[in-house]
Amino acid sequence: MINIRDKGAQVWENSGRTGRVAIATLVIAVVASLPFMGGTILNTPIASYESVLVYPIAMFVLMAIGLNIVIGKSGLLDLGYVAFFAIGAYTMGLLGTKTGLNTWEILPIGIAMSMFAGLVLGVPALKLRGDYLAIITLGFGEIVRIVALNLGALGRSEGIIGIPTPPPVFGIEFSFDSHRIYYWTLLIMILLAIWMVRRLSARRAGRAWESIRQDEDVAELLGVPTFRYKIWAFVLGASVGGAAGVIYASKTLFIAPDNFTLQISILILACVVFGGMGNIWGVILGAVVLGYLPDRIRFLSEARLLVFGLVLVLMMNLRPDGLLPRKKREKAIKAKEAV
Amino acid sequence: MSTPVMSLKNVTIQFGGVKALNNVSFDINKQEILGLIGPNGAGKTTVFNVVTGVYQISSGVIDFQGKSLAGVKRYRITRGGIARTFQNIRLWGDMTSLENVVTATDTHKKSGLLSGLFGMPISRREEKRDTTRAQELLDFIGIGEYSDRLAKNLPYGVQRRLEIARALGTNPKLLLLDEPAAGFNPAEKVELANTIRKIRDAGYTVLLIEHDMSLVMQVSDRIVVLDFGEKIAEGTPSEVQEDPRVIEAYLGVQEDAS
Ligand SMILES: Nc1ncnc2c1ncn2[C@@H]1O[C@H](COP(=O)(O)OP(=O)(O)OP(=O)(O)O)[C@@H](O)[C@H]1O
Ligand SMILES: [Mg+2]
Repeated sequence: MINIRDKGAQVWENSGRTGRVAIATLVIAVVASLPFMGGTILNTPIASYESVLVYPIAMFVLMAIGLNIVIGKSGLLDLGYVAFFAIGAYTMGLLGTKTGLNTWEILPIGIAMSMFAGLVLGVPALKLRGDYLAIITLGFGEIVRIVALNLGALGRSEGIIGIPTPPPVFGIEFSFDSHRIYYWTLLIMILLAIWMVRRLSARRAGRAWESIRQDEDVAELLGVPTFRYKIWAFVLGASVGGAAGVIYASKTLFIAPDNFTLQISILILACVVFGGMGNIWGVILGAVVLGYLPDRIRFLSEARLLVFGLVLVLMMNLRPDGLLPRKKREKAIKAKEAV
Repeated sequence: MSTPVMSLKNVTIQFGGVKALNNVSFDINKQEILGLIGPNGAGKTTVFNVVTGVYQISSGVIDFQGKSLAGVKRYRITRGGIARTFQNIRLWGDMTSLENVVTATDTHKKSGLLSGLFGMPISRREEKRDTTRAQELLDFIGIGEYSDRLAKNLPYGVQRRLEIARALGTNPKLLLLDEPAAGFNPAEKVELANTIRKIRDAGYTVLLIEHDMSLVMQVSDRIVVLDFGEKIAEGTPSEVQEDPRVIEAYLGVQEDAS
């Protein structure tokens, strides 16, 4: 089998600055034009193709990139990621219906709220490791949903209705059925998230996360403030989930606790694991595949979870590191003598 | 007399019923190579573990540069100037050699996550400075040509040396080496002895655990001998070699020790 990851990285690395700009522009252009390809083989039989691009695909991709900071980069098993999505969505729902603030004003508030939640969860939870952390985060995800279910201000099981769509930007209207506008909005957020992750990965934070993932005790003993960087991973992961939540609420106009079940956490986790933990392109691919296929193949949409389960079991056996695993390539040993 | 870099005073640590260290006291002076020897299970690695904060001592005092290490967080101990290698190699296998060392140099960076994210000049400057420094350290240890290789794929001997380079990356005042020559052939041992001297001559203070007697006698300025968690001797290599208690402790393991 050809190694797509290495080929891709090779092409990228061998391209000069203009080459890279050209590649990136081309890729972004293709991805941005996906909404116009509804009439092609890509079309989805049941749900409208353009809405599938927004949810699940783009939304999954965004959240998978966020969760990947926590799980893939830092090796922290977070089973309650949906909580941050929910906090972003409910911030939008509440402020959007109760105050005069619009989506763009609420977006930073929603992000801040979920970051704060990440901090509140992280400080006690990140003192624990492995299975304990997984259980605590799992519980947190459920607690957030149950709070929403029981709090009058959050509409209990009825949720919040009549959430406003975003106001126009440069004359572009965001009506709830203008899916492609939301898709492009999410695309911009995805690009920002990719930028953030790539930037951090190449520097101190990325090394700190990597060292924590590989051997946390050794990291601590070599001077890495592990707790601080684990908190950062949690908080940044939460920020991405929160941003996704705000846009989700502002698109669907109606949210209820049922939208934020454990299932979402598991689905996003599946995207990360399936695509290739720690490799951002793998994670994106995983989210696209797992978001899209169930809507493309009619039979799959009825048994989505069953198929997910099967795919994961198969993957774990056949390709345990995911579609595009993280493993780094080694450059050839520098020939010292030759210098 | 100048104050010692580190001093252990009546250090005791107990694991269940076992006193892994019992009332151990010794000093290590600036730019000294202090050998720490003793039969298997004597408590040598435990000394490293209590010094670096892996375990809290049951009683006694450990002073580093005149300040007690009690309750200091592990990464702060490292930042303060103590770094170690591991008896059973514990590199970050999925990182390259260079990244292993750069991660250690991060200990002293002023720029954190946010200045990295927004590409502040200080972050860029420090990245550049420390990448250069890391490569210099790899060269200094003699494994410069392996800088781009993943640590897990390196030959055993290179991994052992990378452990030393990584520890030096934290810019320590005191370097703790736990059996750095384990598994080395005689030629490699000679080379390592030279490296350790070179490290000392560069201004570092070294505490060296080593089973290979000829190596440790050769490079150490002084030697502390542990047996069953107790210090049984301390002195110059020749003093220690002639100490009857040391000879007795090693009698059963003469083969090992040669
Ligand atoms: N975490 C622990 N729990 C219980 N006992 C321990 C622990 N760590 C060390 N010990 C015990 O303390 C004693 C000293 O162990 P230590 O690892 O310090 O020996 P050592 O001198 O480094 O031996 P070696 O030469 O084999 O590496 C041993 O009896 C060991 O079993
Ligand atoms: Mg030992």
